[in-house]
Amino acid sequence: MTESISFSELSIGDEFPSITVEVTQDVIDVAALAHLDFNPVHTDIDWAERAQVFGTPKTVAHGMFTMSGMTSLVTRHWRDRGAVIVGIEAKLTRPVPVGTSVTTTGRIKELHPRTPGEHVVVVGVEAIDQDGHTVGVGDVRVRLAG
Amino acid sequence: MSTSERLSEQPLTLRQREFEWDFKKGVEGYECWDEIVIGKSAEAQNTFEVRVEDILAFNRSCLETDAASNDPNDPVPHPLFLVMVSFYCIGTGIGSWIRTPGARNPGQRIEMFEDFRPGEVITATITHYDKWIRRDKHYMMDLIELRNQNGVLKARWYVQLLLPPTRDLIAQFANA
Repeated sequence: MTESISFSELSIGDEFPSITVEVTQDVIDVAALAHLDFNPVHTDIDWAERAQVFGTPKTVAHGMFTMSGMTSLVTRHWRDRGAVIVGIEAKLTRPVPVGTSVTTTGRIKELHPRTPGEHVVVVGVEAIDQDGHTVGVGDVRVRLAG
Repeated sequence: MSTSERLSEQPLTLRQREFEWDFKKGVEGYECWDEIVIGKSAEAQNTFEVRVEDILAFNRSCLETDAASNDPNDPVPHPLFLVMVSFYCIGTGIGSWIRTPGARNPGQRIEMFEDFRPGEVITATITHYDKWIRRDKHYMMDLIELRNQNGVLKARWYVQLLLPPTRDLIAQFANA
């Protein structure tokens, strides 16, 4: 593990490097198999076209896939530095049809000083599509070792 | 190409091969919004023994490429690994409304207390936590509590969806 994050060095507004994902049917299929969530709105292309649950004839990505990106944003940069995700709360505001490009961004929103090893940081996260529409917003709660 | 043929082209774990891939099947047995009694609580239908291949499959789905996530012996689980655990545990028992065709996901709240480890046997307790109507939409929320074989609380998931509220509407979606 590299050096732990020092709580005292963090500031409100500090940004994380963004993550961009192209949501293909292959990405959705792998997510369905991993989540064991085989709702046809994700995997059944013909059914999705007929049912149009979200007003689109396309299959849509799992909301939990969008949320996984929100947590990955933090773990990819902080997990090796002693950070542990302890919670996430998110609102999913728009569907993510197959073919969408989703970019997830995040910045430090709250700092909760505790005793060493118990400090908590809240990272405000947002996922947007290629047209700039917000598809999800949330808070990721992180406990720091340092 | 059918959905199952397409899914079969992916590398599959034993658990993935054995799980039902068509949530339109058996909808008549799923819990339905207008019949669910808030406060009812029970152990989920299945327990989940955590395997390395489960964690690797979940991490792959999150597009994690780092060494820790892909360690073939002791991978670090993605924080949302509990999604696989929960869907498996619920199956078609209490909480089965999460499989409903026509459902929409408005957002979720999850609390994590400890990573899942290979070899643990996870039990889920499902509580019908709340249901409500807002702007003509029918919301359902369960509390899923996941514990290992020693009773250690691993995670809590306040899972919510917008549901077609009646059996007729569910059937319409299933048969669309």
